[in-house]
Amino acid sequence: MPQFSDEDLAIDETVRADASIKGALGTTIGEFHGKTCAPGEPLISFENVGKAFGANVIYEGMNLDVRLGETLTIIGGSGQGKSVSLKLLIGLLRADEGRILYYGEDVGSMSAGQLRELRMRVSMVFQGGALFDSMTIVQNVGYALREHTDMGDDEIESRAVDSLTLVGLGPDSHPGILELVPSALSVGMCKRVALARSIALRPEVILYDEPTTGLDPSNCNRIAPMIRKLQRELGVTSIVVTHDMTTAWYVADRVAMLHNKKFPYVDDVEAFRAIDDPNVRDFIEGRTS
Amino acid sequence: MASTPKSPLREWIEDVGKTVNAAVMWCGGMTVMFGQAVFRGPRRPFGLFDISYQVLQLGIRSIPLATMMSLFVGMILAWQFGEALAAFGAKNSLGTVTSLALVRELVPTLLAVTVGTKMATGMTAELGSMKVTEQIDAISALGADPIKKLVWPRLIAASIAMPLLVAFGNVMAMVGGMLISDTVFDVPASYFYATYIGELEPMHYIMSLTKALVFGALAGIIGCYQGFSTKFGTEAVGLSTTETVIAVSVMVLIADFALTTIFMPVG
Repeated sequence: MPQFSDEDLAIDETVRADASIKGALGTTIGEFHGKTCAPGEPLISFENVGKAFGANVIYEGMNLDVRLGETLTIIGGSGQGKSVSLKLLIGLLRADEGRILYYGEDVGSMSAGQLRELRMRVSMVFQGGALFDSMTIVQNVGYALREHTDMGDDEIESRAVDSLTLVGLGPDSHPGILELVPSALSVGMCKRVALARSIALRPEVILYDEPTTGLDPSNCNRIAPMIRKLQRELGVTSIVVTHDMTTAWYVADRVAMLHNKKFPYVDDVEAFRAIDDPNVRDFIEGRTS
Repeated sequence: MASTPKSPLREWIEDVGKTVNAAVMWCGGMTVMFGQAVFRGPRRPFGLFDISYQVLQLGIRSIPLATMMSLFVGMILAWQFGEALAAFGAKNSLGTVTSLALVRELVPTLLAVTVGTKMATGMTAELGSMKVTEQIDAISALGADPIKKLVWPRLIAASIAMPLLVAFGNVMAMVGGMLISDTVFDVPASYFYATYIGELEPMHYIMSLTKALVFGALAGIIGCYQGFSTKFGTEAVGLSTTETVIAVSVMVLIADFALTTIFMPVG
């Protein structure tokens, strides 16, 4: 029978703890199932995507790439279907035509297990926060950790505190916040808690659905720098859907504008601001025609 | 060129077709959800806490309503039958006559239509609210399975709670009958009890509890499906909840008829 020394057991415990935390982190940025992607290369690709809801066609032959490490802002008129692209990427909706590729793997063909794995690496912050109103803040933020790791309650709470602190809602600055329920928080705080929940697993990609909609200017000024901060500190790739141009210019590396069911205008921020096309100018300058 | 206006008959036929089509789609969707819940639910982690929480919410909190409904239906039926039997001088048969009607039919069906509808509408309102606030999408986005987390515990809890409530309701209905028998018709409660129990056979209890199980499962799956199918907006939650009331009532009666045709030749 093999004999383990105390040293071996100690190492084993460390490896197990590391595996648990790695499981919590879930992500090796730039690598997935043996496939790699260098910063600046396309991590996500929408190829000839078509999507309709009944007679309402949202996308037709839509193509868009998202590069590793960048913040891509998607802009466009209200109700055109900007958020649909986020839901297609994370598998909440299925494309009628075309493919959505993540590290070259088609999201539409993924099994339930593969989608689960995808959603540990690509997280989404919903427009209204979508916090679970029957759970406390700490339960909300620790939800994914409880689902996907074997961490104990204390460890989950510790990780939740870390995530909340990253978004400026740690218990040091907001005593008692852990045990509050979402209805006790303001809209802005709910959105930040939703952000904390989405980063608890330290994902590779974060999708933001209208992160500043419904917020007052001071809260908008909190959210936008936070998106930038997470990109710097966690190395995440971000896709931000918004029609708030102030936020769009601040957070984006590149901007993509949805127009006529496609993204015909995609460019770096400075180049995008210089586009002379009337469709672009009308939107970004708020002109009505 | 203007299109030819449709005749009233054609419009009526089209409306009937659309209604039938919608009903078939609804039944199909519910069957798919039921299959998904039964396939995915009993896998690790089993979610025993969620199930027991739902049993508390759906079952324990329905005891007052079940008590009242059963007691009153027992009293009313005993009185109705008592009046008729008294005219023939056969009021001593009150226990015998009421037992089969209560245990095999009235208690399970009435509790399904009242308590089952209460369970289902509660589920629809809760899940519908989660749907319109994107909480169900958030569960999926966080890598969890909404069917396993939300539907399975409720389905199982309703299927557990309903037979237990019906068993309890059978006792309360009998107590109601005993009360009326003794106070109104001067048939001693002990005699009513003896004749009541004497008439019942094991198959009658099986029929009662089988109906309760099926009705509970129906209430659970209808409540969950309606919640998940809620369109966006607060008005939609109200619409879904109203439809749930009608759906549970209709489906319980259809299932009751089907189960009665299955059991009656045996019972």
